[in-house]
Amino acid sequence: MNKSFWKAGHKPTLFAAFLYFDLSFMVWYVLGPLGVQIATDLGLSAQERGMMVATPILAGAVLRLLLGFMADRLSPKTAGIFGQVVVITALSLAWLLGVDSYHQALLLGLGLGFAGASFAVALPLASQWYPPEHQGTAMGIAGAGNSGTVLAALFAPGLAYLFGWENVFGLALIPLGITLVIFMVCARNAPQRPKPKSAHDYMVALNDRDTWWFMFFYSVTFGGFIGLASALPGYFSDQYGLNPVVAGYYTAACVMAGSFMRPLGGALADRIGGIRALLCMYGVASVCIALVGFHLSSSLAALALFVAAMLGLGAGNGSVFQLVPQRFHREIGVMTGLVGMAGGVGGFVLAAGLGAIKQHTGDYQLGLWLFASLGALAWFGLLNVKRRWRTTWGSSAMTAARV
Amino acid sequence: MPLQLRTAEFSSAGPRKDNQDAVRIVTPAPRLAASKGHLMALADGVSQCHDGGLAARATLQALALDYYSTPETWSVVQALEKLLSAHNRWLRANGGGQPLLTTLTALVMRGTRYTLPHIGDCRAYMLRNGKLRKLTVEHVWEQPEMHHVLKRAMGLDEHLLMDYCEGDLRAGDRFVVLSDGVWASLDDLTVHAQLLRDRDPQTTCEALVSAALQRGSQDNASALVVVVDELPEANLADVLEPIDERALPPRLKAGQRFEDWEVVSNLAESRQSIIYRVRDPLQQNWLLKTLPPQARDDADACRDLVLEEWFMRRVAGQHIPELHPLPARQHLYYVMREHAGVTLEQHKREHGLLSVNLALEIAAKLVRGIGLLHRRNLIHRDIKPDNLLLDDEGVLRILDFGLAFCPGLSSPERAGAPGTPSYIAPEVFAGAGPAPQQDLYSAGVTLFYLLTGHYPYGEVEAFQRPRFGRATPPSRYRPDIPPWLDECLLKALEADPAKRYETAEEWLLTLEHGERQSLKREPVPLLEREPLVVWRSVALGALALNIVLLAVMFH
Repeated sequence: MNKSFWKAGHKPTLFAAFLYFDLSFMVWYVLGPLGVQIATDLGLSAQERGMMVATPILAGAVLRLLLGFMADRLSPKTAGIFGQVVVITALSLAWLLGVDSYHQALLLGLGLGFAGASFAVALPLASQWYPPEHQGTAMGIAGAGNSGTVLAALFAPGLAYLFGWENVFGLALIPLGITLVIFMVCARNAPQRPKPKSAHDYMVALNDRDTWWFMFFYSVTFGGFIGLASALPGYFSDQYGLNPVVAGYYTAACVMAGSFMRPLGGALADRIGGIRALLCMYGVASVCIALVGFHLSSSLAALALFVAAMLGLGAGNGSVFQLVPQRFHREIGVMTGLVGMAGGVGGFVLAAGLGAIKQHTGDYQLGLWLFASLGALAWFGLLNVKRRWRTTWGSSAMTAARV
Repeated sequence: MPLQLRTAEFSSAGPRKDNQDAVRIVTPAPRLAASKGHLMALADGVSQCHDGGLAARATLQALALDYYSTPETWSVVQALEKLLSAHNRWLRANGGGQPLLTTLTALVMRGTRYTLPHIGDCRAYMLRNGKLRKLTVEHVWEQPEMHHVLKRAMGLDEHLLMDYCEGDLRAGDRFVVLSDGVWASLDDLTVHAQLLRDRDPQTTCEALVSAALQRGSQDNASALVVVVDELPEANLADVLEPIDERALPPRLKAGQRFEDWEVVSNLAESRQSIIYRVRDPLQQNWLLKTLPPQARDDADACRDLVLEEWFMRRVAGQHIPELHPLPARQHLYYVMREHAGVTLEQHKREHGLLSVNLALEIAAKLVRGIGLLHRRNLIHRDIKPDNLLLDDEGVLRILDFGLAFCPGLSSPERAGAPGTPSYIAPEVFAGAGPAPQQDLYSAGVTLFYLLTGHYPYGEVEAFQRPRFGRATPPSRYRPDIPPWLDECLLKALEADPAKRYETAEEWLLTLEHGERQSLKREPVPLLEREPLVVWRSVALGALALNIVLLAVMFH
């Protein structure tokens, strides 16, 4: 990062986008660490608990398209304010009226999905201010808001223990309100925005085989990251009988490993090649997850393996997004939408699937092994892509923009 | 829109008996104007020599004819250098014992650039934004009484030393070239004033010459004026082919008739191109290369295909596939002969690694072929086993000119490193522009790969920014590789382009000398090879030692 980066663009917008993204991620994921406590109070089964923590993920993936569409047609700032207002309304209702049933919890998850959709707003809002060579850095800074998951995992269970989980929603309203004000004051739309994407653009992108592969790759790495992050509190409490607060700390360690590896994964992909980096990441993650499946007696050993897996998955997220903008630089707007959505869907399937499998087999083993085998499948998919990519790349296929 | 110029010249003998100045303006056919440019020249024959007028006229004649006969891919300077030094020899040989001497100042305007070759004591000025700039320096002695004695001229020396001045053109630029009969009697202010008056070039020329004669010029007086009215779009292909008039062919099926061709099969398809095997009415097999139908709206891809064919026609010869003349073509495609044979990649798949002897044979052919391209000022940029066809008669042909680059003609590069990742030269990743040494590097990787099955710096992936340390010597994988070949390949694979072979010919010579030359490799001490690593490890070692000592002391 050099001086010219700070001279270009609009710093207040970048800051507002980062803050918005960070807090959105925090509340998007807040049901995960609270899942155990909510499930106990509402008397939910493992399947229902899995479904509850997975709902925001799926809603986020789908709503990305809606918010992305709004950001395209209206403006990123309008879309951002709309998203925040919906989230704040949903949380206020949950706090004031309370969540008394499984269905209300799902409804809350749907509202929180708007927070997960902040991807589609914060990243373009920040990057559109910057010339192509700095867009990557801008997106990286705004995208560092991923770390919001860590905040939720660290603090939510403790606060719930002290004040009750319903009041956590109320407490979350404080930073959210401040962020909304900052966002409304500081964020400004970039003067020149690219023209809106059409349905045709999506069809063209989906016509490419590589698009499908990358959606799959990201649904394993990001889906694995967010899915595990949501399911782990439940796993630690079911499997090792840890109390919710400790399970929250364990999960926070995993989540932290994953979110801090993201930029490193991008740098590694730059140096040794994205495919080679991903091959390593999938290898590490699959092996670790498969090992956890063998009913380890020590919760610390399981934690170590989960952290290692999350390191791999987090770095994998960075590696995928090192490759996507270069491989698809012409369709980059459409591709980030599609690939991001695939990641969310992957997370939903993992989180809900682990719950369902636990419910029906009484054990997590099958679910973990299934996930590990998906990682292995992605590994072979990568080999195939690697072979196809040993070809001539015209200069038009390359770009200076880096993410 | 091609380059729009207005030109004029005027020459007068002045008080002298005969006019030994010569002026020439060439307006070439549109196609040549795009690739070779417009040429304007003024020569002032030296009156003290055998026949100054002959020297001046013959020089301009040679320049005007020969310049347009040089290969279209050559750069302006390259072409002028070649033909002027040849003509220099002619002038020295045909004076009947005495040399024929003349000055020469010419202007070549191609695309958006001008080139100004200059020798002798004429002057060239450029008027831009109302400011007058002198572009040339007179090659005369400085001493007061020797001001008219030339230091350099055509025909004077065995080795011709021209000045070349190059720059960008702008619309509205005015150039003027004056013989010493004009500028010696006028000062820069008068020239400036004459040029500033917005008259047609012919009037300006005549006014400059008559002003000089009025002020008592005793010499032949000539002037040449060029006004740049409009610049072309920077793109060569736009000028070469009206591409939007030719549509892409639809997807063709086997057995279908297309224009005059009978489609036999779809041979290969990639993101960038489709190749069909087709048959002509004489039942001969050809390959038809076009773009996939989904590239219809991709103007860059269409342009690249047109350029690819144009380049291949310019370097035609045994080392590339033969192209069909295609007199009746209606769509955007081109057709080349299907030479029976295998690419080196297929050869490796079928027969495994090359034997050292076969590799040497192929290396010589490959380097010779690359040298031919480079002499035509064309850089291939995608040399790899897949693009090298060894046909059944043992001829090696270079395929796929989709990325070929002609310095001076091709439009400047878009961002990125085009090519096949493992074969791209290290400096390209750092953003270096296309250069012939990069082809030599790719050829080095190709031979390395065919001999060992490995890559010298490890396989490079698409979108990777690799680090290049030291190449692995090929003999590490293949002990039967002789040390001289080891050294020869490593030199082509140097990460620093300055340490590689300078030209393909130099490499070819090394290959031909083979074992007879002495080995130059001396063991380089580690300190010289990797000074940073050495000193860093010394410093780290010292630090570690100190920490240990501290620990011991306080223990």
